[in-house]
Amino acid sequence: MDNINQIKLPNNIEFFARQVVEGFITGKHKSPYHGFSVEFAEHRLYNTGESTRHIDWKLFARSDKLFVKRFEEETNLRCQLIIDTSSSMYYPNFDEVTFEKPNKILFSVYASAVLMNIFKKQRDAVGISTFSDEIETHILAKSSNRHHQLIYQELENVLSVNAKLNNRKTSTISALHEIADRISQRSLVFMFTDMISDDNDLEKIFDAIKHLKHKKHEIVLFYVSDVASEHLLEFDNKPYNFIDVESGESIKLNPSHYKKDYLKRIGEFLDILRLKCLQYKIDLVEVDINKGYDQIITSYLLKRQKMF
Amino acid sequence: MALEITDQNFQEVVLDSDKPVLVDFWATWCGPCRTIGPIVDELHNELDGQAVIGKVDVDSNSDTPTKYGVRNIPTLLVFKNGEVVDKLVGAVPKSQILEKLQAHM
Repeated sequence: MDNINQIKLPNNIEFFARQVVEGFITGKHKSPYHGFSVEFAEHRLYNTGESTRHIDWKLFARSDKLFVKRFEEETNLRCQLIIDTSSSMYYPNFDEVTFEKPNKILFSVYASAVLMNIFKKQRDAVGISTFSDEIETHILAKSSNRHHQLIYQELENVLSVNAKLNNRKTSTISALHEIADRISQRSLVFMFTDMISDDNDLEKIFDAIKHLKHKKHEIVLFYVSDVASEHLLEFDNKPYNFIDVESGESIKLNPSHYKKDYLKRIGEFLDILRLKCLQYKIDLVEVDINKGYDQIITSYLLKRQKMF
Repeated sequence: MALEITDQNFQEVVLDSDKPVLVDFWATWCGPCRTIGPIVDELHNELDGQAVIGKVDVDSNSDTPTKYGVRNIPTLLVFKNGEVVDKLVGAVPKSQILEKLQAHM
């Protein structure tokens, strides 16, 4: 089977997302959905000439004081999901994608759907951007039901791409700069990427992420990987032909000969990644695609708790 | 309970203090002030000896708020060596207050 399209997966992403979210939420003692309504935050002295709309009239009646009630900024969230859809995200399973053997894109798409389901319940606005070497989709955040349907449709489209045939490269830097320019209102940005990029310069990628941060977006970076093969290089002791799915280059070698050096280098990479995220106050969530969706929901709820 | 600061003892308690001082400007009729009141009291207990935490009721003490341009309540001012070094306006979470205060401790 060559086409990812033909593979049997739950064809209703929305249904799947609902199951995961409800399964997770049921049994949690404290509902995370309390207290997000618009909140009264402070009293400010009334200035002559100002609109009388927000004057605290009850207070005026009681004490002759003219104060204006000020509220927290509307606390409904705007969320933007950003998914890297380059060929490397279709690793490790290009052909036989199932829930037992997911690939990074399948995981990211379903995780996005799970998050969307939570947003939907809270009437939060949600948008989506997908990129590889250019921005492929950019849908701004809205909260209507129809809009959610449109995004589910878009997520299904992402899964239907045959990455193996396309050699889709990644230009994270330019894509992120463009996305940062396009999202005008402050949002919570969830980014799903494997950090494998053509422009493999972490410093510059973080410059682009800083651009998002500069626009006052809150960023959660889901660093998606197949830990067993990508971090621990767990392969049998025999020669393999490794193909770079984005450029098509191939190399033949026995991974066990290089394991020590590889582990050291991936360790260094992860250290830098963690340090940079800490430095720029980006929430880094290292996600193993084989460990289920709870890790996504937990990190989202934690983030939301921190924001309000 | 946090210290009660008045126009009369402001100089002595706040300006002459050698520790950082957090002053909460509040009023009895203000809902958000009542929200952060207990937080300020908690901070008073937790930071005993490290910082001075006090409250100014703006209704009975109007000189001090006027002097520092406090037009919104609740307003939290952090003083160090007699100078205002930080300001927080509105009902803010405890973590944020603590963060601001610890920066000057």
